[in-house]
Amino acid sequence: MSKVIAARTERTASKAPASGVALKWKRWRFYLSALVLIAPLAYLPEYFEDLALSRGDAGLGQREVGEFAVGPWSVRLAEWQIAPPEREGLAGYVKLFTLAQCQECIGHIKAIYLRVGEPRSLRTAGSLFSGSPYRQMAEVLIPERTGPDDEMWLTLEGWDGAVHQARVPLSEASPSTVQWLQQRKGRP
Amino acid sequence: MVQTKLFALGRLAAGAGLCLASAAAWAHFPIGHCKALDETTVQCKGGFSDGSNAPGLTLDVISYDEKILLSNKLDKNSTVTFKRPPGQFYILFDAGAGHVVEIDHTEIDS
Amino acid sequence: MTQAKKVSKSKLWFLVHSWLALPLWVFVFFVCVTGTIATVSQEIVWLANPAVRANAPSPDAQMLGYDAVLEVIEREHPGTVVEFISRPVKSQFALTARVAYPDATEASIYVNPYTGEIQGSTSGFSFQQFMRALHGWLLVPFTEGFSLGWYIVAFLGIPMLGSLITGLVVYKRFWRGFLKPRLRLRQGGRIFWGDFHRLAGIWSIPFIAIIAVTSIWFLIQAVLFDNNISFSTFGVPPIVAREDIPPVEAGQPPPGITLDRAAQIAQQTFPDLEASFVSLPSNAYDHISVGGRGAYPLLFETLSINPYTGAVEHTRRVSDRSTLELVTGSMRPLHTGDFAGTWLKLVYAFFGLLLSMMVFSGMLIWTKRTAKETVAEVKRRKSARAGRAVVAAEGGRSA
Repeated sequence: MSKVIAARTERTASKAPASGVALKWKRWRFYLSALVLIAPLAYLPEYFEDLALSRGDAGLGQREVGEFAVGPWSVRLAEWQIAPPEREGLAGYVKLFTLAQCQECIGHIKAIYLRVGEPRSLRTAGSLFSGSPYRQMAEVLIPERTGPDDEMWLTLEGWDGAVHQARVPLSEASPSTVQWLQQRKGRP
Repeated sequence: MVQTKLFALGRLAAGAGLCLASAAAWAHFPIGHCKALDETTVQCKGGFSDGSNAPGLTLDVISYDEKILLSNKLDKNSTVTFKRPPGQFYILFDAGAGHVVEIDHTEIDS
Repeated sequence: MTQAKKVSKSKLWFLVHSWLALPLWVFVFFVCVTGTIATVSQEIVWLANPAVRANAPSPDAQMLGYDAVLEVIEREHPGTVVEFISRPVKSQFALTARVAYPDATEASIYVNPYTGEIQGSTSGFSFQQFMRALHGWLLVPFTEGFSLGWYIVAFLGIPMLGSLITGLVVYKRFWRGFLKPRLRLRQGGRIFWGDFHRLAGIWSIPFIAIIAVTSIWFLIQAVLFDNNISFSTFGVPPIVAREDIPPVEAGQPPPGITLDRAAQIAQQTFPDLEASFVSLPSNAYDHISVGGRGAYPLLFETLSINPYTGAVEHTRRVSDRSTLELVTGSMRPLHTGDFAGTWLKLVYAFFGLLLSMMVFSGMLIWTKRTAKETVAEVKRRKSARAGRAVVAAEGGRSA
């Protein structure tokens, strides 16, 4: 008889640690949402990198393309980010480029445009660069049918009305875009 | 995406008393689409990349030798219909310098 | 054997109220605290950094015109291109100018709006920007479309609204709490936090409603934007026509109106607009934008002025917006409380603190009550089993 009681109390005693674990889970599961706070910690370095890039402390862009002579002037072109083109809403895919005018050119250049392929006219010269002559930016549309051998065309308008142009192979301007185009072609 | 970064910055800058108002000039891409209603009529619809409308946007039909064949403006539904000119031409949605969309006559949906 | 309790309706509402908040309480608490700090982040910087203060040398000192500011900057840092000037009227904050230096870096500099003295520049890190990024999207970057962090944070508006509604249902005749406020300090933690939670809750009803609804709007906004759905009536953004730009002699500076003239044109066009910022053209085809808050302080109104001809080629007033734009455009300022000066931000910060404490107190109440109850329940079960064992043993003995 005492054995029965002993057996029952033993079972009850063995349940106590089990319900202790259950208690712990019942309590600590409500702290799980703290895991979401890993995100800001994980992205903190990228936040500061982006800040440095925005301020120009990291150079003209993540990747310098080079210096190009355009008529009597010269400009330095760079890729803002080396990532492939990004979707710009309904317009398609765009790539952001930055540009710096040469010291002697400042004050002579009215506007700078960039596009994929040769422009038909000044009206269709491409995306207009905005910003200061020391660092200006343009988002350039990358049409779906762009080939890896295509060229980018820089068009420079002077205040005196002169227009000068230069060509930059796409493979030189943005290798990541060429890679992206090739990957897209592979898709059905 | 720089546009949304700018847009986001503009939003938080607005809180700090700043407002990136003129950023609209290059954060917005015009878009355009044209289709042939029949053999002689073309209908074009324009807008912007964020899905907003573009009433009053200039739409020119230009021949390959840069002669302006037709000059229109999009109506309040961002649409315009016109007679298809003969020969080779391209359609230009023109929101201003650096903000254009070209559609070649071969690209018109039939 | 314990009898199955009939779960009353009130108990059900209470369970919903708890379950809406408890599984996420740490995250919600973080968002509330960072939001509280973010709302007064500009004031915190004002306290910490004397460079951002606008100390008038005398009570009747006049604010400098925009051209004078440009002159100062050119004198101190020749070749600097000024892109944007923010000069709030009647403000304790210094004028801020966003500039581009010849070494291709950009900075924001603080200029005393009365004396023109350049007081300092940003060190590259903006506390306000950081707090808002941390609060608004957990620093998760925007790539194509809205940040995932934005979605996650904005989503919290839904359980928050649910907590508000269920909380008021559970707190029977809550309006009596206004007439007979009760905060018992000496009857233990459980009682205190319960009273605090209820008292803070009823006083925060409008604030919590605003925060929750505006947060839900942020969620909707992201969904709309990422699906390219827009109800904007803005139309075609103004771009200067080619014909308006006169040809320029080689080496001569391009022609244009001065900023003071632009501000004057804005003043003449809309006398009731209190212009607080000027955005200089970002390329040869861009306009000078002048803007500020008008009669409806939540929204900015802007004018786009042709820098060559001085013509006003685009305006965006409150009256130009559709009702939907008016309502949705008001959501963000309502969320941040930054449209009426420091006093409103302090009110928001106070309620933000109260809201944060409500989340915390809710968790404490649950811990103290449910933990206590669970311990009591375990004890009850232990004794019940012991009792049954005794009965069984006696039964066995009698058998």
